[in-house]
Amino acid sequence: MRRQLRSRRAPAFPYGYRYRLDDQDEVNQNYLADEEEEAEEEARVMVVPDLEEEEEEEEEGKEEEEKEEEESQAQETGSAWWRKWQIVNEYLSDPEKRMSLARTGQSWRVMIRPFAHSLNFNFNVSEPDTWQHYVISLNGFLQGYNDSLQEEMNVDCPPGQYFIQDGDEDEDKKACQFKRSFLKNCSGLEDPTFGYSTGQPCILLKMNRIVGFRPEPGDPVKVSCKVQRGDENDIRSINYYPESASFDLRYYPYYGKLTHVNYTSPLVAMHFTDVVKNQAVPVQCQLKGKGIINDVINDRFVGRVIFTLNIET
Amino acid sequence: RKTEIYSVELSGSGDIEKTDKGHDKKYGGLKKNCLERKTHQPKEELKKELDLDDHKLSNEELETKYGTNIITGLSSTRAAELLARDGPNTLTPPKETPKIIKFLKQMVGGFSILLWIGAVLCWIAYGIQYSDDKSSSLDSVYLGSVLALVVILTGVFAYYQEAKSTNIMASFRQMIPQQALVVRDSEKKTVPADQLVVGDIVEIKGGDQIPADIRLLSAQGCKVDNSSLTGESEPQPRSSEFTHDNPLETKNISFFSTTCLEVSAPPAGTATGMVINTGDRTVIGQIASLASGVQNSKTPIGIEIEHFVHIVAGVAVSIGVLFFIIAVSMKYHVLDSIIFLIGIIVANVPEGLLATVTVALSLTAKRMAKKNCLVKGLEAVETLGSTSIICSDKTGTLTQNRMTVAHLWFDSQVFVADTSEDHSNQVFDQSSATWASLSKIITLCNRAEFRPGQESVPIMKKAVVGDASETALLKFSEVILGNVMEIRKRNRKVAEIPFNSTNKFQLSIHETDDPSDKRFLVVMKGAPERVLEKCSTIMVNGQEQPLDRSTAKAFHTAYMELGGLGERVLGFCHLYLPADEFPATYSFDVDTMNFPTSNFCFVGLLSMIDPPRSTVPDAVTKCRSAGIKIIMVTGDHPITAKAIAKSVGIISANSETVEDIAKRLNVAVAQVNKRDAKAAVVTGMELKDMSPAQLDELLANHSEIVFARTSPQQKLIIVEGCQRQDAIVAVTGDGVNDSPALKKADIGIAMGITGSDAAKSAADMVLLDDNFASIVTGVEEGRLIFDNLKKTIAYTLTKNIAELCPFLIYIIAGLPLPIGTITILFIDLGTDIIPSIALAYEKAESDIMNRKPRHKKKDRLVNKPLAVYSYLHIGLMQALGAFVVYFTVYAQEGFRPSTLLNLRVEWEKGYVNDLEDSYGQEWTSYQRKYLEWTGYTAFFVGIMIQQIADLIIRKTRRNSIFQQGLFRNKIIWVGIASQVIIALILSYGLGSIVALNFTMLRPQYWFVAVPHAVLIWVYDEVRKLAIRLYPGSWWDKNMYY
Repeated sequence: MRRQLRSRRAPAFPYGYRYRLDDQDEVNQNYLADEEEEAEEEARVMVVPDLEEEEEEEEEGKEEEEKEEEESQAQETGSAWWRKWQIVNEYLSDPEKRMSLARTGQSWRVMIRPFAHSLNFNFNVSEPDTWQHYVISLNGFLQGYNDSLQEEMNVDCPPGQYFIQDGDEDEDKKACQFKRSFLKNCSGLEDPTFGYSTGQPCILLKMNRIVGFRPEPGDPVKVSCKVQRGDENDIRSINYYPESASFDLRYYPYYGKLTHVNYTSPLVAMHFTDVVKNQAVPVQCQLKGKGIINDVINDRFVGRVIFTLNIET
Repeated sequence: RKTEIYSVELSGSGDIEKTDKGHDKKYGGLKKNCLERKTHQPKEELKKELDLDDHKLSNEELETKYGTNIITGLSSTRAAELLARDGPNTLTPPKETPKIIKFLKQMVGGFSILLWIGAVLCWIAYGIQYSDDKSSSLDSVYLGSVLALVVILTGVFAYYQEAKSTNIMASFRQMIPQQALVVRDSEKKTVPADQLVVGDIVEIKGGDQIPADIRLLSAQGCKVDNSSLTGESEPQPRSSEFTHDNPLETKNISFFSTTCLEVSAPPAGTATGMVINTGDRTVIGQIASLASGVQNSKTPIGIEIEHFVHIVAGVAVSIGVLFFIIAVSMKYHVLDSIIFLIGIIVANVPEGLLATVTVALSLTAKRMAKKNCLVKGLEAVETLGSTSIICSDKTGTLTQNRMTVAHLWFDSQVFVADTSEDHSNQVFDQSSATWASLSKIITLCNRAEFRPGQESVPIMKKAVVGDASETALLKFSEVILGNVMEIRKRNRKVAEIPFNSTNKFQLSIHETDDPSDKRFLVVMKGAPERVLEKCSTIMVNGQEQPLDRSTAKAFHTAYMELGGLGERVLGFCHLYLPADEFPATYSFDVDTMNFPTSNFCFVGLLSMIDPPRSTVPDAVTKCRSAGIKIIMVTGDHPITAKAIAKSVGIISANSETVEDIAKRLNVAVAQVNKRDAKAAVVTGMELKDMSPAQLDELLANHSEIVFARTSPQQKLIIVEGCQRQDAIVAVTGDGVNDSPALKKADIGIAMGITGSDAAKSAADMVLLDDNFASIVTGVEEGRLIFDNLKKTIAYTLTKNIAELCPFLIYIIAGLPLPIGTITILFIDLGTDIIPSIALAYEKAESDIMNRKPRHKKKDRLVNKPLAVYSYLHIGLMQALGAFVVYFTVYAQEGFRPSTLLNLRVEWEKGYVNDLEDSYGQEWTSYQRKYLEWTGYTAFFVGIMIQQIADLIIRKTRRNSIFQQGLFRNKIIWVGIASQVIIALILSYGLGSIVALNFTMLRPQYWFVAVPHAVLIWVYDEVRKLAIRLYPGSWWDKNMYY
């Protein structure tokens, strides 16, 4: 019963109802609204995230869940509607909890580079024509990450904490450096073919930008890739750059492109150094960490990305 | 030939001649019909001609011809053979369209065909997509299925509604199987009437329906009521004698489905006849087939709806094709262009409207049924509203269809009797001693009796055995004097001479109820001139006075006057027999007449008429003020017809016919300018000689017309003549003879109580209470529903633009699709349904009964101002308002309008999962999809909110909402509540069902469109104000729909 309920609810609330609540919603609205007073209030909230409260909420949520579970067993038919009503009720009565559309919850949405019309990377190592466009795409993408540019435009901010910048809404914000060289072997600096010429392709993982989004503090979110279906051993080794395979907190929050002009999304490069050749290998790269959702069915880019590698020699 | 009954025609032989000619004419049309049939079915018709000789044949010849025996009847086996050959003795019911055909018609009628095309295109598109890419989404299959479902559901619904109203009629029409007493195998048997065959010998009692066309073999004092065949109220005598060459005139044939009123003579009070025609070959059968031969034309509202469907379909297809071409030339994929085309069609077609119209019509039908107008076809509901000419039958529709005492003449004075339905108000002077004598004669010289067991029935409704005149007199005296039977008992009848055609009088001899008076009283009534002949004295104020010249003149004047009113006049006289000559033991012999039959004392005159229903004059006046012309068409005599026409106001008090003018000016009829006469009385004979052009001229130039002595065929000609004047014609009638005209009319109205089954089945509407006044109700309801349908259509069309614009802008400007096809269906078939039905409950804006009937070619249901105002004024405002909501939602989510421009291609690419918005945020394709659905929901809510304003403004077309009253029509508020509730459920209740493309919308978005809704209201109030301020101006002409 429970499973059913979940899966039925999933499409409408793909981000689950356990998402961490945040005020980034309002932040975004402030870009549009002229209500400055409100903006100030919210700015304060932003600076002092009340961790304890959040945890409490979560526990309460769990208890509620358990209660509901019992109820649902007791009255199977009515419970579906009851739950629905609760969600609607919660949604209507508490504006803080109101799920927004795109920025719903704190789910990470990720995307990979090189950019192509599909997520199937088919190429023949010995035929540069088959992978050249990947290299061009990556090179183009990484232009903004060039060390010189980063050093010139952006600041080197302390790692491990949010890079919060108070001040007026329309004041220009500074951005943290993310240098191309962080990506080491996947930076294209040493190997201009990003490993494609040797059958060890680099794929860059980036998070979709969300204004005001702040990941959970504490252990940083880690990226880990494995074979999605089939033999685990098809991928024997992957190197991650930066070696932490995580997105540092200092790149958050994002203030939107109007003021946060030079913001560069943090990246994690995945270097598939030993993949079985001449066959399609479905790869799933997931984000792992506290409160990360990575199993939504409808939106397959929430906390994970799935692609196939088919390297021919 | 009418002289057997107390004479009506009194102005000399000329008049009698004239009516006789007219009578010939009466059947002329029928003969013509026979001839027409002949050309179609020569063989059958030849046989028919031979059959018509039956009245000339002797009994023996008849026996030979039909292989039967008058004494023993047919043998059962022979009868069975004949039954197998000729079929049962029933009228073939008119061919009904098979149910499956009706159903299929609903499936392809109206907009259905467009939607079918849309559905098929959807499936084809999917087929092509599928052949390209096996994983293509099933969206277009869903859409196609939904469209098909919509068509099927609305079709089933419309069929159900139509069937329901037809069923009412079916149950209404249920017939009690008739029985006939027939001689077969020398035995009398009772068989169902439909088993009769030619040659059967049948016996008929008084009160029976004639079971087939029969040749009478023996009958005495037999009278039949031919009113359902000819419209004559008077009973027609029948006997076994051959009296006329024309089989329809001769006395020895009586016709299927007429009623035998009485059979007086022995043996055993029955008439015997031989069946000569059965089923469809009877005269009635021929008229019925004439009726079924008349094509049923489209109803006015049907034409209007078709016109409207053409307009909308035209707009839909042309915009669709135009944008298909634009899309293709803008290098869209053809498949995408097809999907656009479907979207445009769906947006343009008001899917729910036809169902709404059906519901609105059936609501009105229900309301009318409550007011005793039963409507057979839903569309006929409106027809009465557009009616401009009513051709009304006289007998039974305008009149009560029963003889009633209207005037009395005694003491040289005319008294008026109350002819209203209950007779309650008899105010004439009853103190005179003459009246005492007269009332005694009326009571005693009367053979009619109440049927037993009706003590609780009001007098006027009691069933009576006896002919119409005697019934009238019986009831008249019962009302005034009380228990007639008791009076008759006290004045025991000792002898009686019944009425017969040679005597033309009726006489009876009674003992008096005064014990001291041993004289016998002889009372007599009859044709006034015959009665007067037998009188030597006249009673004035209770005193006998010698009948001199001056009193005789007074008598004649009164007789002429009452006769001129179209009334049937009877004279009454009495004589007290001297006790010494006629002692109590005297034995009277009616055959030798051993008593005096002259030197009577004349007491008074009494005239009877089939009086108009009391509600009719008022109804006629109302029809007049509503601009409806009323034409009386009757089989009755011109004098009677004219008198009734005058008394109900069909010929108004101060208007004259050509004859009247001639009489007044004392010139010949030919010298009178026909245009001076407002009224005209035209007989069937005159009509026969008229060319269609002359008839047209007659109809156009006279506003008050009475047609008398008309045949069924001529009724048809008159109706056609009216229709040539672009009039919408209603015909009322009850007899079989009316059925062809009922069928031909735009709306045939049959009488529910007196109406024959043939008339009811030919009619579109049945008046359950036989009351002409119910027609006025029908007209009112019809006009109201026409106005309200206009409002409903205007309301429904408005949002089509708001639904259409998103597609056009999507194609041209490349915005993410603002509203989905399925969402549109939720507006058309969800939120908008109840409000548009609610408009059917709207009260009239002004007195609709003081308006001219609409011109069927000028006053369309959907006219240019309506389309322009709905589409281009309110529609565009609505589209704008909905777009504001749409842009608000997108902007709040991160996509500013400028970003949205031409974003479509990127937006719809499934592999782009980091599309950047105006703030640098990145969106996966599912997120975008979800936002798109939120946009749908927002657009939907925007339209819904503005439709509330649209609903309110549509309450009136000219008056301000405040004049009409916001809260008078409660259903409107039910409609508004339903809109909001449905929208809330869709957004918050079904928010999780992906296929429906609804999401939970933030509460504040519900209010974005409110200012636009207010603007719409204000705009429309200004429009109405300007119309009211400047009637006839450019604005009025172009903005009033």
